[in-house]
Amino acid sequence: MNLGELAFLALAAVAVATALAALLVRELVHTILWISVFFVDLSAIYFLLAAPFLGVLQLGVYAGAVTVLLLFGIMVTRKRIFSREAAAGLGPVPLALAAVLVIFLVSAVGQLPAGTTPVTGYDPSALSAALFDTYGPYLLLLGLVMLGGVAGAIYLVREGRE
Amino acid sequence: MTTLPESGFLLLSGLLLGVGVFGLLTRRNFILVLIALEIAMNATILNFVYFAAFAPHAAGLSGQAIAVVLIGFAATEVAVGLAIVLGLNRLKGTIDVAQGNLLKE
Repeated sequence: MNLGELAFLALAAVAVATALAALLVRELVHTILWISVFFVDLSAIYFLLAAPFLGVLQLGVYAGAVTVLLLFGIMVTRKRIFSREAAAGLGPVPLALAAVLVIFLVSAVGQLPAGTTPVTGYDPSALSAALFDTYGPYLLLLGLVMLGGVAGAIYLVREGRE
Repeated sequence: MTTLPESGFLLLSGLLLGVGVFGLLTRRNFILVLIALEIAMNATILNFVYFAAFAPHAAGLSGQAIAVVLIGFAATEVAVGLAIVLGLNRLKGTIDVAQGNLLKE
């Protein structure tokens, strides 16, 4: 077992544990703390996969912007910031549905060839060529969707809509 | 050049998707539902980044480019979701997803 595998196993364990903790703790602010650890952990996995640009983007967009946005959402919708959720009942049906999904996906993993994956080096100029040339229309579409999303969000929260 | 466990990433991605779907089905707080959605979305993006490292060089960068676009879409989704949370909170005084039944009548 080499260093990459060890790092991956540690990061994967932290990712699953923090994702579960974020959904199961009872205080909403603790949820935000756990989910920010989850985002930083995924960013480290991207660095491990030779995608440092995506790792930095994950840190900026998720660990930065999305976390603060969610914290802001909690701040304005709660009377007291450290308020507890009602006791979380783990229904058997959702648990079974999620378990079926995981078993289905894990059984599909077995069909893949075994072995280890060589991680190729990182080439920022080739990535920018792929992003702005081959996938330029998608990036343009993303810009339009973001514009529409921001306009829709402002429409939803504006005052005096009755 | 480092080597990484091959099926481990897909296993991790499947597990995270399962955690996300589970949270989506059980939580009643709208913000927790959004967080569960983000966990599931991150599992998808992890798949794209993983196959980008797995594929030959030119094709691999497609995976990273699509992942960049997906991160942008996910961020937009959170912004619109929080606007809906604020609207629901103003209308109903709560962010319980079961209370959002205005379209039922």
